[in-house]
Amino acid sequence: MVPILGVGTFVWAMAGLWPMEDHWLPENINAHGAVIDNLFLFILVLTGVIFVATTVAMFWFMWRYDSATTATPVSFTHGSHTLEVVWSILPAATLVFIAIYQMNAWADAKMRRPKLDSGEIKPPLAEITGRQFEWRIRYAGEDGVVGTPDDIQIVNDLHLPVNEEIVLSIKSTDVLHSFFLPNLRVKQDVVPGMKQFVWFLPTKVGVYDIVCAELCGWGHYKMRGRLTVEPRDKFDAWLAQKYGEQNQAQYAPPPAEEAE
Amino acid sequence: MSESRMIPFLPRIAGLMCGVLLVAALSGCQSEPARFKQNAAYKLKMERANMGSDEGSPTALSDAVTSDIGNILEALFGTPDAPKLPAVEGLELEQLVDVKGLQAAAGPVASDRTGAAQGLYREHCVHCHGITGDGNGPTASFLNPYPRDYRMGLYKFKSTKKGEKPTEDDLRRIVNNGIPGTAMPSFALLPEAEVDALVDYVKYLSIRGEVERGLLTETTNLDEKARLVSAADKAAQQEQVAVVKDIVKNVLERWDGAAAAVTSVPPRPTLSKQELAASVKHGRELFYGAIANCVKCHGDSALGDGQTTDYDEWAKEFITDGKDAKVVSTYVSLGLLPPRTIRPRNLRMGVFRGGMRPVDLYWRIMNGIEGTPMPALATNVRQASDPPEAKKLEPNEIWDLVNYVESLPYEPINDPLKAAHEAELFRERNL
Repeated sequence: MVPILGVGTFVWAMAGLWPMEDHWLPENINAHGAVIDNLFLFILVLTGVIFVATTVAMFWFMWRYDSATTATPVSFTHGSHTLEVVWSILPAATLVFIAIYQMNAWADAKMRRPKLDSGEIKPPLAEITGRQFEWRIRYAGEDGVVGTPDDIQIVNDLHLPVNEEIVLSIKSTDVLHSFFLPNLRVKQDVVPGMKQFVWFLPTKVGVYDIVCAELCGWGHYKMRGRLTVEPRDKFDAWLAQKYGEQNQAQYAPPPAEEAE
Repeated sequence: MSESRMIPFLPRIAGLMCGVLLVAALSGCQSEPARFKQNAAYKLKMERANMGSDEGSPTALSDAVTSDIGNILEALFGTPDAPKLPAVEGLELEQLVDVKGLQAAAGPVASDRTGAAQGLYREHCVHCHGITGDGNGPTASFLNPYPRDYRMGLYKFKSTKKGEKPTEDDLRRIVNNGIPGTAMPSFALLPEAEVDALVDYVKYLSIRGEVERGLLTETTNLDEKARLVSAADKAAQQEQVAVVKDIVKNVLERWDGAAAAVTSVPPRPTLSKQELAASVKHGRELFYGAIANCVKCHGDSALGDGQTTDYDEWAKEFITDGKDAKVVSTYVSLGLLPPRTIRPRNLRMGVFRGGMRPVDLYWRIMNGIEGTPMPALATNVRQASDPPEAKKLEPNEIWDLVNYVESLPYEPINDPLKAAHEAELFRERNL
């Protein structure tokens, strides 16, 4: 029952039938995210097929050679050299194939930072700091450098322009967290003292999740942020509005209302 | 030998235990509904005041009077599951809180038929701020700084001056932005209606706490054996009820008047780069000067090390000497957290708890920070009525101070080795 139910659950979830709607992978909006999904699916299918095959074989042997129906005594073999070579070489070759297949995907996501047209490394649009239990966001502002007085500081509410290569720098102020954007297939542990970069290309407007993927304390479960991907002009307007709010330098009480 | 006889018993014992567990599980666990805690620390303070001296153990308030207070509070304010606000003549209750919001924030965590969340306070706030709003929830003792105790009605980061209540906007800003540098998180991702409900519930807990304090203070006016509200003596009862109503009215009027008491902030002058540099330079002179004298507490280096031995109002009310172990342990056993000295802010960190907007900094400097030794500079700012020779600041000089404070986190001296050693301080990857 167990292997059948196990495989059945996966198939049902992939098909998205009730009650397993929305249980499969979240929507991918990263232009570079498809390769990760492909790798995942490839490994899932490969291991799934081998799992089914070996389980079927095992159960067939159990049925065929059940002591209640077979009287032939057990005969011990001294091993088959050919068989041992085959079942070492084949899995090794498969694993080497997977290793080489994923090298490029890994390098693209973790090593090859996007470059500007000039050939220089693209600077980050914002710096995300993980803190128990929130994501503090610091946009670089007009000068394009994080850490200057014109930065815009926001908590948990990340806005990004659509259809542009985005680079974010991520760090932590206290303990291990993990900056996880499920819909962009981006996940990177933030380590205190370590400054790192993530990059991606969102292709669809919408509201998505930022979650923490490394246990960081009692509030880990609710260390959640909101990612809003929107057109460039809307993003610029939102940033300008936030900058204005952050720089409110006057307050006048509203005119007194006439008493009734 | 005994083995072969034990084995038949085992299935029976196992079956019996399963039966017992099943009965226990099916009968369920009923938990008691949540109840407000009485303000035991303030009660002790009033008992001491009654006695007239701090020596010796004070006579405890009679059980009758204590239960009077509990009954009055429950009649006026309800319970954590069913809150209500007393109605007072001349005060529209809807001006103060939205009753529906209050209901949504109260009670156990659940959701109603439309899927709207109930029990918001218990879902988001109670574990730090406590069911009574006393700032001593289960996680409070792990935090530095401690969560706010609402019952005194004192709030640090607001747009009104000391002695006035915060406006709803002030409270909403704290709930939405959180308080950077502390454990108070940002609730900006909650729906606006839920944030409003939480703000209303905080007001409710604060009003309740202040009325409780008022009632406890009133007990010092009682004769021995007298009750706060006597059931028997009808004539006296009228007067006593009037006294209680007065206490409630004073608290509610304060809260109602908050919105009108916001300190105006004149527009900050827009300055060119040179003018800004001059303003920052002048602000520095004021910072070190005799009128503002910020360095007295914030230190010659603005690192917050000018004075480190003072306490905040929430601690000072009960404990003037944090090293007196006996006094401390008495009040800790009554529900206070161990007192900590309050440190002036390190202004070179760029972390401004009450908000980093220029208006926020103006309000902090002009009005001080209630509940802390941070004084209001307003009394030292020139008014039209002041004689010309009075040594006071011009209103615009506050902006010079703000400009200086804003520049402090970016001074190169903050981290002289940073540029030279950045590569060692940060292990940069993927360059």
